[in-house]
This record gives sequence, structure tokens and C-alpha cells, in this order.
Amino acid sequence: MIRIPVANTIRLRRIALRQSYRFALLLLIIAVTVNAALQSNFFRPSVLSDDLQTYLPLMLLAAGQTIVIIGGGVDLSVGAIVSLVDVLVVRTMGGNPGASQVFLAIGLGLATGALAGLVNGICVAYLRFQPIVTTFATSFVFSGLALWVMSSPGGNVPPGLVDAYQANLLGLPVVLWVMVVVLVLWNFLRSTRYGRYLYAVGGQSMSAYVTGVPVSLVRLSTYIFSGLMAAFTAVALVMSTNTGDPLIGGPMTLESIVAVVLGGTRLSGGQGGVAGSLIGVVILSLILNIISFANIPTWWQTLVNALIVLLALTGPGIVALVRRKL
Amino acid sequence: MKISLAAQHVVKHYGGVIALSDGNLEVQSGEVLALVGANGSGKSTLSKIITGVVAPDEGQLLLDGQKMHFSSPQSARRNGIVEVYQDLSLVPDMTVAENIWLAHEPVAWSKIVRNREMRARTRDLLDLFTGTIRSSLQPEALVSTLPPDEKQIVEILKVLSLQPKIMILDEATASLDSRQVDRLFELMAEWKAQGMAVVFISHRMEEIFRVADRVTVLRSGKTVGTALLDQISQQELVNMMIESDVVSRYIKHHEEATSSPMRLSVERMRTSVLRGVSLSLREGELLGLGGLRGQGQTDILLALFGAIPFEGQVTLSGRSVHFTHPRQAMREGIAFVPGERGAQGLLPVRSVLENLQLPSWRRYGPLLQLGKARKDADTVARRLSLIMQSLNTPVNSLSGGNAQKVVLGKWLLREPKVLLLDDPTKGVDVGAKGEFYKILAELREAGTSIILYSSEDEELLGLCDRVIVLHDGQVQAELADVTLTRSELVAASMGTAHGGAV
Repeated sequence: MIRIPVANTIRLRRIALRQSYRFALLLLIIAVTVNAALQSNFFRPSVLSDDLQTYLPLMLLAAGQTIVIIGGGVDLSVGAIVSLVDVLVVRTMGGNPGASQVFLAIGLGLATGALAGLVNGICVAYLRFQPIVTTFATSFVFSGLALWVMSSPGGNVPPGLVDAYQANLLGLPVVLWVMVVVLVLWNFLRSTRYGRYLYAVGGQSMSAYVTGVPVSLVRLSTYIFSGLMAAFTAVALVMSTNTGDPLIGGPMTLESIVAVVLGGTRLSGGQGGVAGSLIGVVILSLILNIISFANIPTWWQTLVNALIVLLALTGPGIVALVRRKL
Repeated sequence: MKISLAAQHVVKHYGGVIALSDGNLEVQSGEVLALVGANGSGKSTLSKIITGVVAPDEGQLLLDGQKMHFSSPQSARRNGIVEVYQDLSLVPDMTVAENIWLAHEPVAWSKIVRNREMRARTRDLLDLFTGTIRSSLQPEALVSTLPPDEKQIVEILKVLSLQPKIMILDEATASLDSRQVDRLFELMAEWKAQGMAVVFISHRMEEIFRVADRVTVLRSGKTVGTALLDQISQQELVNMMIESDVVSRYIKHHEEATSSPMRLSVERMRTSVLRGVSLSLREGELLGLGGLRGQGQTDILLALFGAIPFEGQVTLSGRSVHFTHPRQAMREGIAFVPGERGAQGLLPVRSVLENLQLPSWRRYGPLLQLGKARKDADTVARRLSLIMQSLNTPVNSLSGGNAQKVVLGKWLLREPKVLLLDDPTKGVDVGAKGEFYKILAELREAGTSIILYSSEDEELLGLCDRVIVLHDGQVQAELADVTLTRSELVAASMGTAHGGAV
């Protein structure tokens, strides 16, 4: 009887340490408050539903990025993969596709995303290249290919797809259901043995290796996940923007990393979770919202994003330095 | 169920260095075998070969009489052979339970890890050490929050959770307190009774005699004998570990060193490893730090050089000092030659000139007088008899011995008062070693005080005026003149003090 509360407090501490949602939730509350003050119709269901539709693509991307970062890497090519899959899907569907053509296009897009992730993963996990340099380099390959497939924005998608994106299911928007599915799948994943491997590889890969964890395979898998999630992101973007754009993913790489950081996942790996990153996306989008409603020039957004990442990278070092001086 | 493991005539080379020339070992169910040997005798290499971490060049492993070949730690583990690692194999950001069951978690049909079962089984394992660990050591505690002794216990339990048939404990008691060691030994007796075979590697003589049934002794890569522990005395065991008591001096004792003024004294130095070490050093004296690897020798050097924080008093030439950064130590005339020359001592792709001059550039003015710098470097290179094409040759094209001379040479330019050497001849060929010793003798003659840590006992005996032997972060013995013998050194390393040792 006495043991239960002890275990509970330890579990709470563990959750707090492992996924520091607290900071994310605090930021979320601040962002929502400021937004609600600036935008009077903020809480109207139709506005909220619209918001959710704009959040979804980045959420999918950030979910994939989270897995890579927990595994001790980082994927700087996700934006380029989004661009490539985006134009590939629109190009394959052509002008007026049948249902099978649509499924073929989406299937091809998802396969391309996974393949791009496979290339990254092989370079990092088996050829032992630096994740940052590798994915930075491959990002140019992917964005080059995107421009080759479609050199300027264009094409359109069947209205059915656009409707599906905006539809409701059981009284709630479809995009919300997708978010729920992502969270459920993530929670399943982290409850499996694979989930333990993921945290172990990111936390201390050498320890994991001598314990018999298939370190390279786990690393490879994180990049495939991330490539696949980038492809899903592209499909969501195609459905919401109704057209193809070879440059659409460009700014999303930094945004995905910022969302992960805001969600309490440490950039050094071995800690964090997807749920935090989804909250991070909402915070990030609300900041963007605030900036546009407060009539601040939009270039501030890039600066704010960059500062958040910089702070996340330097934060632990600064804290350690201050502690040492004391 | 009986099991037996034998290693026969195992040989392992690392490059040109022979780590193991004839390793033999035999252990079977229901016994604890101690594996002992002085520094560099090949204990770790032999245990790594048994557990599949490294592959032997020659020789064979027999498991129950069957010839075996382990290509990885996993294949050894599948055969029930496991090792408790000394440098820990835990993931700090995961819980105790997750670490113990990593890679063999209990899973349900849906592949989901059965957390409740894992926690319960972890609790059962932790109960083995009840009374010797804090109550906060729960399955849910994060490993990063645990003190070193509890981490070591988690490491032992992790290996135990694999239900091994043969367990190797490599210095597993080093970070445990006496009650935890007692408990571990009780458990080892239980495991023995259940049919487990245990190989116990330790540097503590007292523990070996307490827990082991037999002992196998390694000496410079060779198994020299096996004995039953109730039929051998500590002195006999020490004698097995050393070849002969004849010491060959590489350089002469410095006679004046006993009367010259005090250069450096250290009072009760404490770091995470050191537990109150005091020592003194005269001008022109060569003091050796002995003992098994990792007993705090390197910590003394790093602390004196201001590279790691420490408590205690340091007096340099009559003045109390406490360096917190290597720059301060350098300014006061202290120089440090690190053991890992590739990582800490040299800029491998840069030239000999740049490496020699790196700590001394400020002498050559704001606009560097390169001609003068080159001339000075050339003088040092000649003094060291460096074999190189020119001063512009990158150091990574030099041989190991020559590269190490460069590491020493860069401090010679600064004419240090105190020279700290951290295992400086590791991986250096014999010829270069001889030249290195000659330079040390010259430096000492010129009044430089030297503290030398060496993992080779021969070096300590052949070079030093005095040797302090460390054991578990404390001074076990101070050897000089008549007590500076091989058997005194080995005995003190193993934690026994006999004869005239202080």
C-alpha cells in the first residue's frame, strides 16, 4: 500500500524528465491567450477546424523528425522530400484521374518518401556519415529532383480529395482523427521493444550496442519513418493546397525541428516524444498567427524559429557553464 | 547441469603489440576462478576473447569439450557466457527496469512490452541486494540519478537477468562498498551452488582469497599457472605474478634529489576517484605513480595541471596554489604529456614545427618571428634526435615513438619546472623508449621535477627515484631504495602491504 504512491511520484518525475511537456503547455497557454486577445473569433469551431487543417502537415512532418532526433540523429532533408513527393503526386494524378489513378499516385509518393529515407538511413547507419552533413547534402538531391519533376507550381487535384481533407467524421474534423491516429500509433510504437531500442540508441549507442541492440538497423528505421512521414505530409499538403509546388517543403525543415524542440525533446537524443512535438506545432503556428495579426513583418518568423533552435542547442551548455562557475 | 569452458593457447596481437601470447584458462560449474596478473598481463584481453568481444588470432575455446567460435558478444551470450562490464553499459536516460531488460524485454503477443511484469521481475532482482541499497533504487528510477555503486549493481543484475551459465566479473567490486561486496559474495556462493561458473577478475588480494576457489595467473600475456587458493599464500601468489626480482635500471638514481629543496607538495587531494592523497616532490626528482590502471594516477596529474576540479592543498615552490585551468598551471611552469597523444597531445595533420611551438607562440611577438621559432624548434628536434624529413612534415607521418617525442618536445621549449607524464611510452618501440628515457634523465639533471605514471612496472622500477603505489584512490605504499622492488610493487598494487612498505 505504501509502495504505490512512491512508484507514482517516481513515474511522474520520469515523465517530467523524459518529456518535459510542462514548458510546452505553458507556452501553449500563453500563445492561446495572446491569440484570443488579438483575434476575437479564435474559439469559433469553424476557425478552429481551419486551424487544425493548416497544422496537420507540419504535425506529420514533426512526428517523423521526432523519431529521428530521439534516435540520436537529425533529418535536414525532410522539407525537400515533402517538395519532391508533393509534385510527384500531382504529376502522377494528371488532370482528371480515376480513383485507381489517385491511389497509385499516393502510393508512389509514399514509396518515394520511404526510399528517400532509406538512402539517408543507409548513409548514416551503415556508411557512418554525419547525419547533419548527409541529410543536408541529400536535401539538394531531393529538391533538385522536385524541380525536375515540375519546375514551377501548377497542376490540380480532384475536388473529392479536397473535400475529404475538409470533411467531418463522427462530428469531428477528419484532420483531428488523423492526429489521434498518429498519437495512438506512436504510443503503440514506444510500448514495443522497438521503442526501447529507439531510446537506448539515442541515449547511449555504445551501451545499446554491447547490450545486443541492433543499433544500425534502428538508426536506419528512424530515417525511413521520417521519409515516410514527409511523404504523408506532402499528401496532406496536396489535399489542402489543391495544387503542386516544387518549393513548398523548403521552410518546413527548420519548422519541424523547432516544433520538436518546443515539444521538449532534447536535440541530443534519447529522450522526448511525439505528443510534445504536436503541441510544439500548435505553439509554432500560433506564434505565426500572432505575428500576422499584430502586423509584425513576416520575416520575424524565420528569426524567431532560428532563435528557438539556437537556444535549444546552447541552453544545456549555458546551464552547465553557469553551474560550474557557481 | 554441468558446464565447462576452456581457453587453450590463445594468442592476440594488436598491430605489432602482443597482448596475449599463450592464454590458458579452465573453469567449470560450481566454482569461482580468480584471474590475476599485473598490468598489461592480458587479463582483459583473455576475458574479451571468451565473451566474443575480440576474436583471437590463434588458439581455441572449448565449451563442454566442443570447439566454439564466438563472432560477437551476442553469440557468446546465446551460449550462456556473459560479462559484467567495468565501463558501464547502461543508458543513462532509461529506467533501471528498462536497462536491465534491454534487448530481452518480456513482450506480449502484440509485441507490446509487458511493463508490469518487467517491473515485478526487476523488483525481485533488486531484492537480492536489499539492505545494501537505498530504498529509492526502484525499477522506475532513472539510471542517470544513481550513484556509481548502484549503477554497478544494476549492471550486475542486468547480466544476471540473462540467466547465465558462465559469468565473468571484471573488477566489478571496484565501486561497491564493503556491505555490497559481502552481499555479492553471498550471492556468488548461491550461484555457484546452482551450477554457475564464475570468473572473478580483481585487483584486491583479500577478495580473491575470500571468494575464489582457484586462481589462474597471467604474466606478460602467458598463463603461468593455476593454483588452489587454500594451498597458496599471498606471497607465493605475488611471486607467481612476477618474473624475477632483478631490476634493470634505465637511468641512474639522482643522488642529490634526496637533499634538494622541495618543489611540490600535495596534501589530502580528493577528486571523484582520489580519496585523500598526499605526496611531495623535490627539485630534480623523478617520482613514479604505480598501481593497477585506474586507481587515480591520472587524476593526480590532471588535477595538478588544473584540468579537473579537486579538493586539497597544493604547494608549489613554497607558494600555495590551486589551478582551475591548464593555462594557469602552464604559466607556473607545469607541463603535462598526456597518454592519448593522438587525441590530447598532438595536432596530427599539422607540421612538427607547429606542434612543437603550439604552447610557446606568445614568445615570438604579435607578428610571429617565424625564423626564430624555426631555429628554436630545430634545436629541440635535434636534442630529441627526431627522425623526420623536415620541420614541415605532418606529425601523423612520424612513427609512434617520434610522435611522442614531439609531445614531450613542445614542453621542453618552455623549460618546465614540473613535468607530468601520463603513461608516455604506451605503444612506443624499444629504441625510441631508450631515447625518451635519456631525455628524462637530462631534464632531471637540469632540475626539472618529474611525476611519471606508467602502466609498465619495468619503467617505474627502472626510472624512478621513488614510487608511490595507489590502490582504490589512496596511497597504498611508498617505495624507495631497498623497497623499490618488483614484488613490493606488485604486492602493493594488489592491496597488501608487507615487508618494509609504509
